[in-house]
Amino acid sequence: MKPGKVIGTVTLGHRDPSFRGGRWVMISPMGGDELTGKNTSGVSPQFSLVAYDDLGAGVGDEVLYVEGAEAMQPFDRPIPLDAITVALIDTYKYEPPTQ
Amino acid sequence: MILARVDGNVVTSMGHDSLIGQTIVLCTPVDEAGANAGSPFAAVDPLGAGMHARVYVTTDGSWTQDTVHDDHSPIRNQVMGFVD
Repeated sequence: MKPGKVIGTVTLGHRDPSFRGGRWVMISPMGGDELTGKNTSGVSPQFSLVAYDDLGAGVGDEVLYVEGAEAMQPFDRPIPLDAITVALIDTYKYEPPTQ
Repeated sequence: MILARVDGNVVTSMGHDSLIGQTIVLCTPVDEAGANAGSPFAAVDPLGAGMHARVYVTTDGSWTQDTVHDDHSPIRNQVMGFVD
């Protein structure tokens, strides 16, 4: 699981039939600078990604997402998916030790 | 397995059913000397790791499915032990 910030939504036109009814969000991964508040731009320099979302995450929400084969585990059939939101973050604490 | 340092925790308002009752910690990957070695990630922590503890975290989703008793859990990362 990785923390990320929802920076947009994606609507697919023509799509694989297994994705019918799915909702998609664009996520910017949160690294150390984003979690500690050093980067206030809201978008990290890491590559953004698109993830399946069935929690109703909105733009600006912070979420935990999973990448990889585990992303399709919640489904009862194999579908071509490798990123999914798994939790909406209410609050978090991130305090790395000062070097 | 990832060597990491526990740097915080997460409280979620809503999530996959398998996360109910689980403690979620934010970890930073570290190298053998203790220096940061990657981007922070979240892991479920059934052991109760303290702040800044050095831990080993598994990335094996099927193992985590066993420990949360949910065959449909998407969770990958779980704290497996503390570094003495």
